[in-house]
Amino acid sequence: MNRRSVISTGATLLVASMALTACGTRGGDSGGSGDAGGSGDKVVKIGVISPLSGDLSALGLGIQHSVELAAKQANESGDLGDWKIEVAPEDDEGKPEVGKNAASKLASDKDVIGVVGTLNSSVAGPVQPILDKAKITMVSPANTNPTLTRGAKPVDAPARTYDNYFRTCTTDDVQGPFAARYLYEKAGIKELATVHDKKTYGQGLVDAFSAEYKKLGGKIVAAETINPDEDKFSAVVSSLKAKKPKAVYYGGEYPQAAPLSQQMKAGGLDVPLMGGDGIFSGEYIKLAGKGSAGDLATSVGAPTESLEAGKKFLDDYKAAGYSDPAEAYGAYAYDAATAIINAMKVSLKDAETVEDARQATIDAMKDVSFDGVTGKVAFDEYGDTKTRILTVYEVKGGAWKDVNTEEFK
Amino acid sequence: MELVAQQIVNGLTIGSLYALIAVGYTVVYGIIQLINFAHGEIFMIGAFGALSTSLILFPGQTALWTLPLILIGAVAAAVAVAVVMERIAYRPLRNAPRLAPLITAIGISVFLQELVRVGYNDPTLFISDANPFDFPSAKQKVVFPRVDGISGESFDLGGIILQRPAIFTVACLAISAIWLWYYINRTRSGRAMQAVSQDPDTARLMGINVDRIIVTAFAIGAALAAVAGVAYGLQTTNINFKMGFIYGLKAFTAAVLGGIGNIQGAVVGGLVLGILESIAIQYFPGGSPWKDIWAFSILILVLVFRPQGIMGAKVVDRA
Amino acid sequence: MSKLSHNPRLAGPLALAGSVLLIVSGLLSWSYEPILGDISVRFWPVTLQVYAIVMGVIALLLALVAAGPLGRWSQHIDPARGLRTMGVTAAIFAVTTLVAITHQTGGLINANEGVWIALVGGLLIAAAGYLRPETKVLDPAEIALPAWLEIIVIALLVGLGLYTAQYALKQTDPWVLVLLVGMLIGVTLTATRSNMASWVGGVTMRHQRVFLLATFVVVLAFPFTQGGSEANLNIAGNVLIFAATALGLNIVVGLAGLLDLGYIAFLGAGAYVGATMSYSAFATIGWKPPFLVVMLIGGLVSSILGLIIGSPTLRVSGDYLAIVTLAFGEIFRLAMFNLDGQSGPMITRGSNGINAIPDLNFFGFNFGQTHNILGIDIPRAGNYYFVLIALIVFVIIVFTHLNNSRIGRGWVAIREDERAAEAMGVNVFGLKILAFAGGASLAGMAGTVKAHMDQAVSPDSYIFLESAFLLAAVVLGGMGTVGGVLIGAAILKFLPEKLRFLDDYRLLMFGLVLVVMMRVRPEGLIASKRRQLEFHDDDEELAETVVIDELEAAK
Repeated sequence: MNRRSVISTGATLLVASMALTACGTRGGDSGGSGDAGGSGDKVVKIGVISPLSGDLSALGLGIQHSVELAAKQANESGDLGDWKIEVAPEDDEGKPEVGKNAASKLASDKDVIGVVGTLNSSVAGPVQPILDKAKITMVSPANTNPTLTRGAKPVDAPARTYDNYFRTCTTDDVQGPFAARYLYEKAGIKELATVHDKKTYGQGLVDAFSAEYKKLGGKIVAAETINPDEDKFSAVVSSLKAKKPKAVYYGGEYPQAAPLSQQMKAGGLDVPLMGGDGIFSGEYIKLAGKGSAGDLATSVGAPTESLEAGKKFLDDYKAAGYSDPAEAYGAYAYDAATAIINAMKVSLKDAETVEDARQATIDAMKDVSFDGVTGKVAFDEYGDTKTRILTVYEVKGGAWKDVNTEEFK
Repeated sequence: MELVAQQIVNGLTIGSLYALIAVGYTVVYGIIQLINFAHGEIFMIGAFGALSTSLILFPGQTALWTLPLILIGAVAAAVAVAVVMERIAYRPLRNAPRLAPLITAIGISVFLQELVRVGYNDPTLFISDANPFDFPSAKQKVVFPRVDGISGESFDLGGIILQRPAIFTVACLAISAIWLWYYINRTRSGRAMQAVSQDPDTARLMGINVDRIIVTAFAIGAALAAVAGVAYGLQTTNINFKMGFIYGLKAFTAAVLGGIGNIQGAVVGGLVLGILESIAIQYFPGGSPWKDIWAFSILILVLVFRPQGIMGAKVVDRA
Repeated sequence: MSKLSHNPRLAGPLALAGSVLLIVSGLLSWSYEPILGDISVRFWPVTLQVYAIVMGVIALLLALVAAGPLGRWSQHIDPARGLRTMGVTAAIFAVTTLVAITHQTGGLINANEGVWIALVGGLLIAAAGYLRPETKVLDPAEIALPAWLEIIVIALLVGLGLYTAQYALKQTDPWVLVLLVGMLIGVTLTATRSNMASWVGGVTMRHQRVFLLATFVVVLAFPFTQGGSEANLNIAGNVLIFAATALGLNIVVGLAGLLDLGYIAFLGAGAYVGATMSYSAFATIGWKPPFLVVMLIGGLVSSILGLIIGSPTLRVSGDYLAIVTLAFGEIFRLAMFNLDGQSGPMITRGSNGINAIPDLNFFGFNFGQTHNILGIDIPRAGNYYFVLIALIVFVIIVFTHLNNSRIGRGWVAIREDERAAEAMGVNVFGLKILAFAGGASLAGMAGTVKAHMDQAVSPDSYIFLESAFLLAAVVLGGMGTVGGVLIGAAILKFLPEKLRFLDDYRLLMFGLVLVVMMRVRPEGLIASKRRQLEFHDDDEELAETVVIDELEAAK
């Protein structure tokens, strides 16, 4: 049996390869040679560290392609003179130790000036110091753990740990309190329940939300968690329903938030669900169905600019024909790449080699300020996004409609 | 009191899912003493089979008449995968040391999950971009088709909410259990199955085609898991590629709880586990974050102190 | 195979023709396009062409044994099995190359004559192997050459090993790497099947100290060959941590035969001990003992967990035990999420994990900095590499001593037949517990180093899939052997780094490889003979050698 199976495997492989490739053309100009023009250009690379395989790959690939889009547009605009941007994507599999490998690989590449990534806060931990040592700018589109920018005591004694680290997404301590104020002051909801998925983003959001909400005088009648690997939340819903909350604040992303909202309504708990930018996605409405009407989400930036620019981004992204959708963090990744590119416009002007320009790029990041596709992009002294304008959106008629835009103070 | 009743209803709903999947573990184990670790994936394949049927035959159609068709699609997909899996991966290893089939099962489990994840909207994998039926990408959650009459308004019985998909799930379990009982005890091949599970060698001597019985066992398990997949999709309105892992594990717990190898036991075990879980959220220390820890602790305790389960099964030495 | 009519007289010429074709193919053009390191040029062999020549030379050697000048070797070397393996490998190699050429250039038409000739050569060699009957041969391990010659052989072998490792690390083209690894596996299997490896084994056994020393020197020399670059050393560090954990698992699975599906939890427990007692600003335990103490505590905590999870083995075994351990692994992961100060006591910081763990510092030697030793820069990853080598040497010593002791024999007895072992007076329960606790403590110690090396610990690194990977390393390499597990660990941690082109298909391939492996070679790449027998219990010849070996070992 043993030998025969080896032979049959070989034969199958052979036949399969013949069948698949019976029609082929001689010559290699089937693709890839289009960007050969301008061989005299100097190359500068923007790395991407995100999960490109495994169950988070949808988000990771969205980040990669968004950065590619930003690089492509910058190359076409010619703003960088004879520098040509290439994107160097590296897979971190969503694991710290693989992310570390990816970071050292990029750090040893002399052409890398900046890195967009990571997706997971836990992967950012080992990546930060390696890139910092090599003076490579790192901009994360998705890390929400406040300690990454402000050190071990982000609230009481903030202290910047790594000068090269920036992020375009807001941290939990802006979005959470903003939502708390909206619910308590504007919507007049004095009693609610919180649910989160025990992940960095969700838990952080709910913690920040709860602190502010209690300070305002609101009452949290129930605090539950769900297992993000499951989709059956009826027991949690029933337990919430018994406490009669007027709303549910959810910390987490739309893949869980949508079924939760749907099951809340089906389980007789007909109150709005509110979440952060993790649920601000068209997919949410699609997954949650009709019952999602009245659900709320916060997102960064004012609606007009962010919606207009965001729509253009999505159109461009579609036109570029990437195989995977931009997903939740695509727009943030696009802005992160644009921020690096804007800094490069300053730092690469007089630089001979990329390595010379690395420190200058980090310095230039502090002065970067532009209108991105997620709103205004600029960084404060810790590397967090300076934008404090947030908008509350509500699901109306099967789409997100803005209901309130304010600056968070 | 109302709340307890509500949680018991919730528990019965989720427990029915566990029970439907657990039958698959128990039937196969009863015959060839194999923990088919990839059975959770069959549940997932069933759900995706249902989705594919709907997308191929009647995209966008939600009338009640689609329900039998998507059920057939789900069962067909799951049974096909299970039979191929048995033939290619398990049968050659039937006399190998126990480690080999278990590791094979882990391999199949990873393989099937990944196949659906990367291959669902890209059936030829990296060779071409063909996607004739416009399947969605399964890297994220996918919306499951609705069925009028099943996914609709809930019933309110004096404060206790009865969701329609939940009623459907329990009904599926009831029908399946009755059919299974009839099949095992009243049909020829069902009795042959009992004979094989008691003594395969003697059964073979009596002229029973043991291979066919084993395939039948896999097929029965797959069919019930596929029904569970549809029920799950209707309950949660969306499905994903990794739903098989956690539900497979819980269903296995249920099978052990009821006494593995014992079909009634699997059903009772599933319902008990479902109710325990729902009650645990409400009343156990720690609440929802610790729910799964309790579930797994129960699994360990049962395995250690009462390996024959609540219902008891034939005691076999699993060395 | 008995159905195939053997025709030994035809085998010799066929094998000769095939191997010559294979060698010649290396000198010809393989592809119209300059791909895969430019294999389009004639008489200038690179990458794949070189591999073809290597396989051709080995096949030629076997062919000469089968027919002609080297005929007298055939009492020690069985050319039939060797030719079969080499031929099949070469044929698969050629077919894979065809797929690669098609994938890279867009059509099979781009394949040139060389690859086709290689395919024909491989098929001829395989055919020759099947025409020739298998012969019973004497064990070549006994053939002794003069000592100095044997030591030179050892030096050459070890040097070749280092060169191959370097060469493999340098390859950037994924297809070339796949084919290289495939070729190496094929060559190794050929050497084992044809009994050539047995002679090498004999040589290394006779000069065990020299061999160990040479290996050790090469392993220590590795960081000096990297020119201060961290990339490969980081991978090497991951491989070593993974290997140390897998060796611990090997005690439980490979020696004692207890299946553990939650083993990653022990590594995780060690990592959390290392993190919470570090000088990180996020550490939750105020006590900061020196690292060696932390390492011991890590090992201790893991072994206590091992005791807890091992205690049910008194009552459950086999598949049930596998499920108990799986449940335990999940409980560990969920508990790490819950010990965040909200759902439970503040120990692990939940999903945020513990970040910014400082580098190790031994008596002022800071592991985070680049040190200049002998004029060569040893970067951060290099420093950790040395610590990990020390750890893994310790683990290997523990492992081999246990394996060759009364305890090890007790484990094997339990694995083979628990009741018989008990009847013979083996303390079954005690030994089982010892396997769990001992294996777990090795993993725990590796975990404490891992925490500092990765500088971050979070619960999502300790999922079930990681346990499956560990088990796969043990199974792929060969259960119960040290070398096998090291190779398995290296393959599983190194290949994904280099095979990024697989992207999203990586795990798909992993699942497939597990299934195929269990069917084709369930005992692993490097199997102990005893293990091999368990999977091929109809092979009487093998059974005989095992019995003889056991008797000799007992003397």
